Amino acid sequence: MNARAVAAWSSTCLFIVLLTTNPAYKALVLAAALTALGTGAGLRRIRGWLTAVTLIAAFATLLNFISAHLGATVLIELPPQIPALGGPYTLEALAFGLVGGITIAAAILSAAPFSVLLASHEVVDALPAALSRTGTAIAASLNLVPAVATSFVEVTEAQRLRGWRPRGPRSWSEIVVPVVLTSIEGSIQLAESMEARGFGSGPRTAAKPSRMQRSDWSLVAASALALALFAVSRIAGWAADWLPYPTLGAPAIDPRPLAACVLLFAPVLLWRSGR
Amino acid sequence: MAIGTIANLNYWYPGSAEPALRDVWAVLEDGFTVVAGPSGGGKSTLLRVLNGLVPHFHGGRIAGRAQVLGFNVIETPTRDLARSVGFVFQDPELQTIYSTVDREVAFGLENVGVPTHVMAGRVEEALHAAGIPHLAGRTVRSLSGGERQRLALASALAMRPRLIVLDEPTSQLDPDGAARVLTAVMRVVEEGHAVIISEHRLDRLLTAATALVLVVGGRVESADPASWRPPSAPSHAPRRSASGNEMWSLEGVAAGFNGQPVLEDVTLNGCSGEVVVLKGPNGGGKTTLLRLIAGGLAPLAGKVQRRPGRIAYLPQNPTALLHRPTLRAEVRLTVDRSGEHEPPEDILNALGLLQVAERYSRDLSTGERQRAALAAVLPGTPALVLLDEPTRGMDVAARDALVRLVTRLRERGAAIVLATHDVDLTLALADRVVQVSSGTAFERPVETVQA
Repeated sequence: MNARAVAAWSSTCLFIVLLTTNPAYKALVLAAALTALGTGAGLRRIRGWLTAVTLIAAFATLLNFISAHLGATVLIELPPQIPALGGPYTLEALAFGLVGGITIAAAILSAAPFSVLLASHEVVDALPAALSRTGTAIAASLNLVPAVATSFVEVTEAQRLRGWRPRGPRSWSEIVVPVVLTSIEGSIQLAESMEARGFGSGPRTAAKPSRMQRSDWSLVAASALALALFAVSRIAGWAADWLPYPTLGAPAIDPRPLAACVLLFAPVLLWRSGR
Repeated sequence: MAIGTIANLNYWYPGSAEPALRDVWAVLEDGFTVVAGPSGGGKSTLLRVLNGLVPHFHGGRIAGRAQVLGFNVIETPTRDLARSVGFVFQDPELQTIYSTVDREVAFGLENVGVPTHVMAGRVEEALHAAGIPHLAGRTVRSLSGGERQRLALASALAMRPRLIVLDEPTSQLDPDGAARVLTAVMRVVEEGHAVIISEHRLDRLLTAATALVLVVGGRVESADPASWRPPSAPSHAPRRSASGNEMWSLEGVAAGFNGQPVLEDVTLNGCSGEVVVLKGPNGGGKTTLLRLIAGGLAPLAGKVQRRPGRIAYLPQNPTALLHRPTLRAEVRLTVDRSGEHEPPEDILNALGLLQVAERYSRDLSTGERQRAALAAVLPGTPALVLLDEPTRGMDVAARDALVRLVTRLRERGAAIVLATHDVDLTLALADRVVQVSSGTAFERPVETVQA
């Protein structure tokens, strides 16, 4: 699996999911991203990602449902005197929120292969020479991300045993400040280590230059075809937009943009399981 | 033959009025040089001068001259010195960039533009030189701390430097990991590299050292490694048999993460006025056991009981605690919360930290930070004291101060549990020793702990 091919596929997924408002195409992109990740990494490895995107999507759905009092199909209604929450709660607002949630989930999962399926050096190797230094710095800093989560648990536990209790937003500074400081210190130590190993001393070489295999070229071709087909569909008006307001209706579906979305399932055939 | 000369060097960290290095004159000879001295004395700063991290990375003000392998380090950027001076840092977790062993070793070679076709050979050569050819192809995440430090050594060696500098490379490791790292270092010395290492575990190094540099209070002096002796280990407090009330107990406890048990069927207890020491390899479950006793981790099965009272818990990473503007404020926070009236100066004095009471705790050296974290959790009279690797990065004097403090807490009736690899500390304090390894915990006689 080559990072450049993954980048082509991810970009196409993002292009489609962010360009259309049609829930059918968005849902197809989400399904393609999910099955691609599942094929490449196995369901067990992506369980954490699935939990995270489900929570984020649910939050986006709920937020629109309780804040957008628009639409004709009222499900429940709270007295308008209740600040912020009062008013009608509609099926249309729920549907719009759900589509927003699908968009966010599809966008996150489309980019997830860079983290789940590729090692940091594979991403760096695939970058053009002009970006290799920046890419290396980013890849190195990404190594610190799991440490932040660990640090949060450690700091919360240590401060709790020292008598800290969550009492309003200000009390969280006792947790957030050490976590942030620890992360910054970790970054500085990593930067110091990189400097000591000659980082930034001149043009870089790569221990294993990035090479595209036939399956990578196939993925690039499928992604390019999907991108072109969907762009043409948009311009020609085949990929119709969808808006649930004022009354919820089914989205219009055309076989041509649908075919573009189906092409995004190419990784299922091309990526071997168990990476 | 001299590989480095330092003349009239003074260095101030940014924003600091006191120099970290003062009037340093030193000639560094080829061979194996050991750098020793108390925590916070300036060892790490001196070592960072040798590859230009001080002043180029850390900033600050520097005066005087420093020349290493013919380079004027005050004028030559660290990245240019990287081909000649390899550096291994203290923390094995925070010096790896890539996720696989081979690529990690190649990182420096990539930075200095070594042609691709020669890299594989250089990586293999470096892994052999560090004694870890068997780790080729492994992911960095799967390595132990000791393996990671040898990987850092291999990464430095791949650049074929004339000089290798190591800053307390074993301070975060268990005895087995530390021994393996030091064996790898000795092999590098035997192969003819110039090596400069700062360490607290000096016994093995001094017998092989060709030079010894002492750094105390920012001043540097030379000593004869054959005749110089480090301060002695802490004296043993009289051992006690438990006579106080039971303060904590575990009955048939299993614990772990994501449903995977780390400990199973553990039954233990501890009493007031008693020191229980947990021993065992890294990853064996010592920290898990401490967290169970503290109540920070819920058991998967079994029963954990604690008597009410204040818990003082030192986590493995002391920086988890430190966030107040000064060390005194850090101690004051705990004292105020405990409702006791002990002045912060008492514990700061006991741990030899009065002089840095007004400093920001995170600006202190590694060993001083560890003591600062101890000062932050141990003031007053806690009922239960749980310390995870309390002597990490500490010099002998600081360890002695800790022994006196723990002895005082024991006399005041605290139930104390220490997880430590430190044999001297164990022999000085343990009333009981519990071996924690392979998912089990069992008591063993204190006498079986070897000095």
